Amino acid sequence: MKRVFMKGCEAIAEAAVRAGCRFFAGYPITPQNEIPEYFSRRLPEVGGVFIQGESEVASISMVYGAASAGTRSMTSSSSPGISLKSEGISYCAAARIPMVYANISRGGPGVGSIQPAQMDYMQATKASGNGGFKMMVLAPSTVQEAVDMTFAAFDYADRDRNPVLILCDGVIGTMMEPVVLPEMKSDEEVAAIKNSKKWAAIGHKVDYANRGWIQPGNWSTAIMQQGNEEAAVMYENWQKNDVQVEHYQVEDAELVMVAYGISARIAKTVVDKYRADGKKVGLIRPITVYPFPYKAIENLNYNQVKAILDVEMSIPAQMLEDVSLAVKGRCPIETCLCSGGNLMKKEQVMDAVAKLI
Amino acid sequence: MAVAEMIKSIAQAPEKEYYLPGHRTCAGCGPALAYRLIAKASGKNTIFIGPTGCMYVANTSYACGPWAVPWTHAQITNGGAVASGIEVAFKQLIKKGKIKDEFPNIIVMAGDGGAIDIGLQAASSMMYRGHDVLFLMYDNESYANTGIQVSPMTPYGATTMFTPSGPEIPEAKKFFPKDPMAIFCSGGHPEVKYGATASISYPVDLMNKVRKGLAVEGPAFLHVQCPCPKGWTYPADRTVELGKLAVETGMWFLYEIEDGVKKWNYMPKKLKPVEEYLQTQGRFSHLQPEHVAKMQAWVNQRTQLLGMEVPLPPAQ
Repeated sequence: MKRVFMKGCEAIAEAAVRAGCRFFAGYPITPQNEIPEYFSRRLPEVGGVFIQGESEVASISMVYGAASAGTRSMTSSSSPGISLKSEGISYCAAARIPMVYANISRGGPGVGSIQPAQMDYMQATKASGNGGFKMMVLAPSTVQEAVDMTFAAFDYADRDRNPVLILCDGVIGTMMEPVVLPEMKSDEEVAAIKNSKKWAAIGHKVDYANRGWIQPGNWSTAIMQQGNEEAAVMYENWQKNDVQVEHYQVEDAELVMVAYGISARIAKTVVDKYRADGKKVGLIRPITVYPFPYKAIENLNYNQVKAILDVEMSIPAQMLEDVSLAVKGRCPIETCLCSGGNLMKKEQVMDAVAKLI
Repeated sequence: MAVAEMIKSIAQAPEKEYYLPGHRTCAGCGPALAYRLIAKASGKNTIFIGPTGCMYVANTSYACGPWAVPWTHAQITNGGAVASGIEVAFKQLIKKGKIKDEFPNIIVMAGDGGAIDIGLQAASSMMYRGHDVLFLMYDNESYANTGIQVSPMTPYGATTMFTPSGPEIPEAKKFFPKDPMAIFCSGGHPEVKYGATASISYPVDLMNKVRKGLAVEGPAFLHVQCPCPKGWTYPADRTVELGKLAVETGMWFLYEIEDGVKKWNYMPKKLKPVEEYLQTQGRFSHLQPEHVAKMQAWVNQRTQLLGMEVPLPPAQ
């Protein structure tokens, strides 16, 4: 397997192209500019199209259009830009349009800071727009994972006819690591995927009676409710079938940290440090933050686990609420937090663990 | 500032600075020089609104800013809207006698993206509603603070991070830029009584246009060309020189429109070939003769469209 040294943002873009993404629309914002920059060079080489929108709203709406026509399409932004895109994301979810977008998140709220953060957890997992829709939200902890998740995200999106979000902190987006890239889908495969989308709006050459209508809502309340009921079943199925979680040194752990993305990598270092001293510390890492791995935390042995430590680059803590729902008061939950663009230091996590063991 | 007091020469320009040293813009930054001149001309009773852009990011890094007057950040989408809110608040407070202040000079310092791309809607609506605000567009012809991406003001043929030159599109950027003066000051926004183009290389003209824009009742628009060493790729000591060369080659024009009447503020005796301008900047270094000819044809057409009667270089 050939390994290449790539920046997270560029690796995400290349993985998307290899998954058959042939349309990208974006708008500049730090720290995700390398995604559109990469697409602007790469897409013309594979017969795809890159457009710089006049805004985030325009970019997501162009993706809405391209994906409506059956093309695998993507957009990306960073935190405040994702807020602008939220109208379009909700429209894609309502119209059941498959598309993939990446949030290379930075400090917030507001314009915040341009440094990495994990302050969009609630927005990503609970309300990325109006109307209570859900999406699969994948949170990479390495550049390799960002690649694999982006490649898989297009399959999830097409399977469910739903948006999929790659929730990637600015560290993963901007650092370089060796990666193995997935194999490029052939032009025939890409065309076959597009042609399989019988629902797509592709013109009048198709069966006129069954022509594609893309509707982000419906004036008929009965049809609207039916659509939401179907979506709700899909969300429940994700919880049964699509949860991904990593257990690290959890089996005999008396203190379990819960962390995702870059925080999980820092927490893992801390686990190793304490394990070297014979201290029973472990880590649960949600890989899908939606669907959240409630069971992994729920099923811990609370006769053995003395405390949970929620580690996130967000103040106030956000994932903490999901962790609490799973712990159900059976042991204390403490937090180790930083915010506003500051990167979590392993010493801070070491100190937080020391207080609990 | 009911009647604008005109500045006759650089020697007579106010000494007092309201945009101070200590900011973190690049060496040779055109927009920073513009800011300094604009703040000098508008004076103490000024409020700046800074939508996201270089003049927000580079000026406010590390929790400090260079303004000796009030300043507020606005979303890049909404410089015009935030200014509208400030303007109506002051008008009402003064009208109701709740404050004794003189109505301030309210200036939006928007980059090309914050003015004519993502910020266009709010800018247009502010002008449509007639708010007494000077909307100033400092144009460095790219999204520069995010690392030089293309904007609608990026010239045809320029490379940016989003418009690389390659086999598919050899000239890099294939579209010609928008014309903000045509959008804001050609009758489409009837409340706008004053609009002008300016350049950092003509400082007295720039400062006087700021004062004129502030003196008129209602909205005014200023489009200021600000060369950018990083985005245009040229040595930092040539910023002022390039601003002048832009005017001499027809890549920039200096005129104003007051109550619908156009007046030329500076007209070169004859235009130099545009190639002289293109040669100075790395962003155009990949251009082939046919692209240069296309650019010259565009400059000539634009010169005639704007009614500038000067001898033109041949367009092949």
